[in-house]
Amino acid sequence: VQKPRVAVIGLAGCLWGATILTVTSAGPSPAQSPSPLIDFQKQVQPILAESCLECHSQDKRKGGLSLATYADILEGGRSGAIVRPGNSAGSLILDRVTGGVEPQMPKDELPLDDPQIALIRLWIDQGARATPTSAPAPPPWEAPLALSAPPVPALRWATWKDPIDRFVADHLATRKRPEPVTVSDARFARRAYLDLWGLLPTPEQVQGFVADRNPSKREALVATLLADNDKYAQHWMSFWNDLLRNEDGVSYFSETAGRKAITDWLFASLVSNMPYDQFVRTLLNPAAPTDPDGFLIGVNWRGETSAAVTPWMQAGQNTAQIFLGVNLKCNACHDSFVSKWKLKDAYALAAYFSPEPKLRLYRCDVAQDVYAEPGFLFPELDRSPVSDALKDRKATAAAIFTDPRNGRLARTVVNRLWHRLLGHGIVTNPDEMDGKPWSPALLDWLASDLAAHNYDLKHTIRTILTSRAYRMPAVSRRGEAPARGYVFDGPEVRRLTAEQFGDAIGAITGEWSLRPTPRPPGTPPPAPGASDPLTVGLYAREWRVASSNLSRALGRPIRDQVISSRGQQATTPQALELVNGELLTRWLARGAQRMIGELPPEPRSLFNKTVAGRNASSSKFDIDISNASRLWLIVDDFGSNAPERVLPMWADAELVGPSGAQPLSSLTPIESSNLRGGVRPASLGSSVEPVRITAPSRLVFDISGKGFTRFRGTMALENSRSEIGSTLNPQVRFLVFDAEPNLARLLPPAPDVPLPAPPVITNAADVVDQVFRYLLGRAPSVSERSLAERAIADAARPGKVSAEGLSDLLWAVLMKPEFQLIY
Amino acid sequence: MTRDERHIYSRISRRGFMGATASATLAALAGREPALARAMQTPKPTADAVIVLWMAGGMAQTETFDPKRYTPFAPGVNIRDVLSTFPQIDTAVDHIKFTKGLEQIGSVIDRGTVIRTFNAADLGFILHSRHQYHWHTGYIPPQPMAMPHIGAVVSRTLGPKNPDVPAFIAIGQTVEGAGEIGTLKAFHTGGFLGTEHGPFLIIDPQDAASAVRPPKGLTDARFKTRRQLLEKLLAQEPVHTYGSDFQRESLVRSLDAADRLLNSPSAKAFDLSLEPKKTFDVYNTGRFGQGCLLARRLVEAGARYVEVTSEYIPFVYWDTHEHGHDRAEAMKKVIDAPIAQLIRDLEERGLLDRTLVVLASEFGRDAMTEGKVGKEVKDQAINIPDVMAEPRHYGMHRHFTAAGSILMFGGGIKKGFVYGKTAEERPCTTIENPVIIEDLHATMYHALGIAPDTSYVVERRPVYVTRDGKGKAIRELFA
Repeated sequence: VQKPRVAVIGLAGCLWGATILTVTSAGPSPAQSPSPLIDFQKQVQPILAESCLECHSQDKRKGGLSLATYADILEGGRSGAIVRPGNSAGSLILDRVTGGVEPQMPKDELPLDDPQIALIRLWIDQGARATPTSAPAPPPWEAPLALSAPPVPALRWATWKDPIDRFVADHLATRKRPEPVTVSDARFARRAYLDLWGLLPTPEQVQGFVADRNPSKREALVATLLADNDKYAQHWMSFWNDLLRNEDGVSYFSETAGRKAITDWLFASLVSNMPYDQFVRTLLNPAAPTDPDGFLIGVNWRGETSAAVTPWMQAGQNTAQIFLGVNLKCNACHDSFVSKWKLKDAYALAAYFSPEPKLRLYRCDVAQDVYAEPGFLFPELDRSPVSDALKDRKATAAAIFTDPRNGRLARTVVNRLWHRLLGHGIVTNPDEMDGKPWSPALLDWLASDLAAHNYDLKHTIRTILTSRAYRMPAVSRRGEAPARGYVFDGPEVRRLTAEQFGDAIGAITGEWSLRPTPRPPGTPPPAPGASDPLTVGLYAREWRVASSNLSRALGRPIRDQVISSRGQQATTPQALELVNGELLTRWLARGAQRMIGELPPEPRSLFNKTVAGRNASSSKFDIDISNASRLWLIVDDFGSNAPERVLPMWADAELVGPSGAQPLSSLTPIESSNLRGGVRPASLGSSVEPVRITAPSRLVFDISGKGFTRFRGTMALENSRSEIGSTLNPQVRFLVFDAEPNLARLLPPAPDVPLPAPPVITNAADVVDQVFRYLLGRAPSVSERSLAERAIADAARPGKVSAEGLSDLLWAVLMKPEFQLIY
Repeated sequence: MTRDERHIYSRISRRGFMGATASATLAALAGREPALARAMQTPKPTADAVIVLWMAGGMAQTETFDPKRYTPFAPGVNIRDVLSTFPQIDTAVDHIKFTKGLEQIGSVIDRGTVIRTFNAADLGFILHSRHQYHWHTGYIPPQPMAMPHIGAVVSRTLGPKNPDVPAFIAIGQTVEGAGEIGTLKAFHTGGFLGTEHGPFLIIDPQDAASAVRPPKGLTDARFKTRRQLLEKLLAQEPVHTYGSDFQRESLVRSLDAADRLLNSPSAKAFDLSLEPKKTFDVYNTGRFGQGCLLARRLVEAGARYVEVTSEYIPFVYWDTHEHGHDRAEAMKKVIDAPIAQLIRDLEERGLLDRTLVVLASEFGRDAMTEGKVGKEVKDQAINIPDVMAEPRHYGMHRHFTAAGSILMFGGGIKKGFVYGKTAEERPCTTIENPVIIEDLHATMYHALGIAPDTSYVVERRPVYVTRDGKGKAIRELFA
């Protein structure tokens, strides 16, 4: 470990520092070579240290190359590997020091002398060993740019016929693995539904699938699930939201580049299965008004910003990471110490997206006398924009990223899909596509296949899901994957995502998360004098709703950064949220009531109005009550700064009947809470005495037989104007009901649900069946059934199901690893 | 948010205990935490625990701990002529003066240090939450990686002091909600250190006990039966069938860890109703005061990092855009008694020597300057005229980054000491010993025995606990 280096203090944190090195050497290998083995440390290192380190140190890295350590030398630089163990003739380092490839190194200095060159040559030919007792170094891995079309291996096992199967069979057989078994129909169905719809299969769906005699029923199921565009999109939204940093309703109040959600476009593009190259082109070069310009804008906070994180620098970093698996974060601030990328690479990429075509470089926020023009990471694909205009530069970037010669585009996305569906990438880290794949041929075959099928992501997903590899039994994931020597022995056990977890509760109980909306989509704003919307909120799939403590504990990220994979580990905060969190408790309590048809009604108000804000003003109302026999008048505070100082009143309130108008204040409520006295005359200057209350207040009036037809007045605050401002910032809601309101849900959500509500079940045996079959995909055992039936029996009502008991059973089953894992 | 919702959020917002055992077993087993790269030299700790008293919203320094010339309210006075709206008062230390309303804190400042020259970053157009992010992580957003809260860094680096008490507890701040409140989520997080180190959030101190009790709507008996049902169902499960052993085990173990923490005797620390009424009453100036009491109880029980906030709500509490004088007066009533009592209680219990107490705010305030010196931009939300007409106009209504006050007590810090000097005339800027966040953090870390160039390896590179590892502990502050 090297000491950290000194950095210039800049505006933002530049994470400038030391390279962390781990030099690993294999076990002892007896020297068989005729000539004595070269000692790298004693013989080679000193030559490089003396002649090369001035430019190729870890912080300078000319050409992206460091020659400071053994690992650096093997890693190579911008021009790729410089050492090919065992093959000095093919090693760039020798071409450079001999002058075989210009410019000769060391540049502008005396060349190395012949014995020095001979020593390096011999060291390489002996296998470029770390120490004389180490094994020869493995051949360097260099991620190619273009796609190859690898030949599909010969058949190894009779039923492993499709290309993926053959690549995997080849991989396994050469590692002496026997032909794997495949999982049962029920388990396959669970995986497929969760991976394509994000939902558990219903008991009927599992049953139907298991009973199906069609030999290609698995392929048929995958096709059917993929054909449901809406459900496919609802599930895959979370995957893309994480990657593209898309989050609804989050702003950091930038005055110049506010955050802009791309939800509508993203959803539509998933529904239509937009070809991936077009998808990327549209993200990089949004032109139509409905296009996702929010993606390039990025995450910006109000105020001045470090040069390394301007919207265009973010765009450069994010596009490289998301679409190409290249990490440019270090070198957005300074030349990278851990990769070949330079500061100017980050700026050149950003220059496709910046207002000005020439970008001044800032090194750790200090302006340099150097400017970058648009330039791509891989110069082979570089091309000049038609003009300096931003639209032309963006169009050029879009064209380069999706150039058919850019194999990284397809390789990166198929690797992401594989990683998502099988729990471990073909390249382990989906953000570092320079890493070595466990099967380069499989990766390139999948990528070529995607390109050959018009970048149809559903095609690749289908290909993966119908493969034998996907049907293999799941294997345990134990911490971080080994850097080397990974063998694909089957999909890794995965956790349900926060969205899958929540949607499972919604699906089985019919009780979904709520997405608050000012008013349901498609409804016009209320006319003056009309009520505010009577319903607030829609039941929604989990991805649609804002994150909660529960969903964040279960791994839903704050999407300020690109998230390629979510944490899979069980943590204590997560367990506390599940065991002790009120959100899950309330959800299950209502869900259980709904399952057995005992959810209390949630009547809608006749009329409601919000009096809120620093400029809160009163609201007149005049409503039809001719069918009411009782009136419930509710006033609720939903967030005033000092609720106890807010003075709401039903001002000028009158009931109009056959004998004229009668002041509300002249009637005696049959129930009342939080009435308050008042000495001041109502500020509205009316003759009618107001009914004064403090929130929360509930007044009930019996008006049966009185023939009232209208209820009118003003919903108002008695506070003075100067109090109402930022001191109180009142948030008060007035509501009128003609049926007993549910105080927990004064404004019930619209009744629509994301999936058809499951039928109400009241029989204990059926309830237990439903819970096990739906959540676990199997029937309960005899002992499980007896435990569960006992748990949900209602002691007070023999033969009935207790909603409390059922919510506890739901909880217990949801806590089971059998539920929480995909295996 | 209604009071009910607030109430509910306070219960559902518990993010996490992280007992040593839990943390060691779960996180380590998962093997997914960034590796710690220890610094070359680790300072000898002078404190084992930290309490941060967060004056959210920008506490006006000239109205609190850095008194300047007093100008009483009078219609017709130009706000340019107003530096302090409170007269100066004496404290327990001859050379330290505060403003009226801080008599109690003044009476304990002989146990602590006043820093008068906190210089917040100049970021242009002010956004409170962005400065709060900077204060709490040492980094200015946006950042390409999720930066952890300083409490999460302390939690990860030192671990819990008592395995049964969460290492990082944040009291008093709602982070759920629309608008700027929602942005506070961005730094109330373990960030790249993982959720295991995120804050255990308690919104309402009086409700803290519910964080360690069965959730509302569930009796103790039912809570136990439910848990037993799970145990029995797990026992029925065919072995080795569902999921891998490792993941199955870690899920079950995490539930056990949660249970153990809920049932620990230390959980009593959360229950303010166990505090003698007399003490409770001294602290009880509202949620902040109760939070101070809770902080004391939690540190006694072994918490590592506790933050109590006066709460950030735009335009409320210390975020004075009008009625500045009245608001400052009210806020001083809220903080004065409980903070002084906290110091006395810690001292009486022998804890002050090893507990670092830090009072701070994201920046200061001024009547004229907006942001950095030389800038005078009118408030966009609330119009305050140049010449005062009514009490609404009297006070410090703009944001000021060139000086702000910090108090530090205990944990090896000097007693009765003043650090930094500000000008006596507007703009009352720093003229001696500016303190930037890197150095303040380095000082706090130094007290805890954490070197400022301690780093974590994230995406193959080191990320330092102070920016670039360059924070310098202010040695003059230590006794």
